[in-house]
Amino acid sequence: MINIKNLHKNFGDLEVLKGIDLSIKAGQVVCIIGPSGSGKSTVLRCINRLEELTSGQIVVDGHDLYAPETDINYVRTEAGMVFQQFNLFPHMTVLQNVTLGPIKVRGMSKTEANKLGEELLKKVGLAEKAKNYPDQLSGGQKQRVAIARSLALKPKVILFDEPTSALDPELVGEVLEVMKTLAREGMTMVVVTHEMEFARDVADRVIFIDKGVIQVDGPPAEVFDSSKNPRLNDFLGKVAHQH
Amino acid sequence: MAFKFEPDVMVETFPLLLSGVKLTIIITLCGLLIGFAIGVICGLMKLSKNLLISKLAGSYVEIIRGTPLIVQVMFLYFGIPMASGLRIPPLTAGVIAIALNSGAYIAEIVRGAVQSIDYGQREAGRSIGLTKIQTMRYIIWPQSFRRMIPPLGNQFIISLKDTSLLVVIGVAELTRVGQEIIAVNFRAFEVWLTVGLVYLMMTLTISRVLKTVENRIERRGAR
Repeated sequence: MINIKNLHKNFGDLEVLKGIDLSIKAGQVVCIIGPSGSGKSTVLRCINRLEELTSGQIVVDGHDLYAPETDINYVRTEAGMVFQQFNLFPHMTVLQNVTLGPIKVRGMSKTEANKLGEELLKKVGLAEKAKNYPDQLSGGQKQRVAIARSLALKPKVILFDEPTSALDPELVGEVLEVMKTLAREGMTMVVVTHEMEFARDVADRVIFIDKGVIQVDGPPAEVFDSSKNPRLNDFLGKVAHQH
Repeated sequence: MAFKFEPDVMVETFPLLLSGVKLTIIITLCGLLIGFAIGVICGLMKLSKNLLISKLAGSYVEIIRGTPLIVQVMFLYFGIPMASGLRIPPLTAGVIAIALNSGAYIAEIVRGAVQSIDYGQREAGRSIGLTKIQTMRYIIWPQSFRRMIPPLGNQFIISLKDTSLLVVIGVAELTRVGQEIIAVNFRAFEVWLTVGLVYLMMTLTISRVLKTVENRIERRGAR
């Protein structure tokens, strides 16, 4: 599904990613954890080409992202993205936020798109908010709309970039609940997160990135309970301390 | 000879000014309409990653902003015909001058408004597969346009007043008509006072309309 080979990324003189190799199969839920500044979000953003890589190769669903013949707009529809700051379109209603992609990108008719949009809003528990504007929603509701928006294009994988980090603690649960449902339905998901409980419960695989390289990669039980990696244990210790 | 204020002169002057008012409004509207088109194009050009394109628009803005409108008007009306042999009618020259001048300022308004939209909006648009142009059209532009309305209204008022400078090329707009009336009745005080009040009436009307538009947008909720 996603194949990353020797991914390097520099921001100016700063080398953020120093050779990431990662292969994700369809249906897998992969959580990426690590301290801030470790490069975990950058990996995710490279998979959607929101960030240009410096060297290496990324293949998503058989499309080499950096091959000149690749239509990046098409590939982006196959890899949905959910942002930390939601990034809903404030001038559109909730329903319009969800249907814009299907109408403009997939060429769906408005009636068809509205039907799909209403279905998806129901799925994330916000059917009654269809006519509202984003600034009338709570953070958790906004993020659920953002998930519905990315689902509307029927992507093969959804990339979550710290989807709950901007939320008040009491709103985190409702978003994670929706994500769990997606995971159960077999959606391929790559989640950059600080929610260790979620990673432990839902992920098939947990990846620990620090200093621009993958330090640990394995099933959650192994990563959280029996890793010998000192950096990981140091990180987990600090995170546990906060909670 | 003591000065004696004659309100009657103001009452007599007012209807005579109406032809000038009409022309002032026509020049302002035509000039701003073209100026808006220029401004949108140049504002977006200034945001281009292509250095040649952005520098081209940037130079235009700098040149217009850095020279007085009255010099631009006289260059257009007296200077260009001398070099090219083509005479531009004064009204056309006036409209072109207002268009070029407001276009430069509107370019800056457009650029600023577009740049003020959070970068995440662009990324969200691109991530659902919209092209750059679609992202601009459906996501960035509608949000920026709302932010442009107050400064555009301001520009409207400035350009309306700027048309008075066209007096130097003999366009029969409001100021010119006032001047002609004084040439006959020598009542500078009453006539200029009336002319000033008429300008004020027009600009206050624009302010009022603008406030209504802004309130309506605000009431619609979304930013």
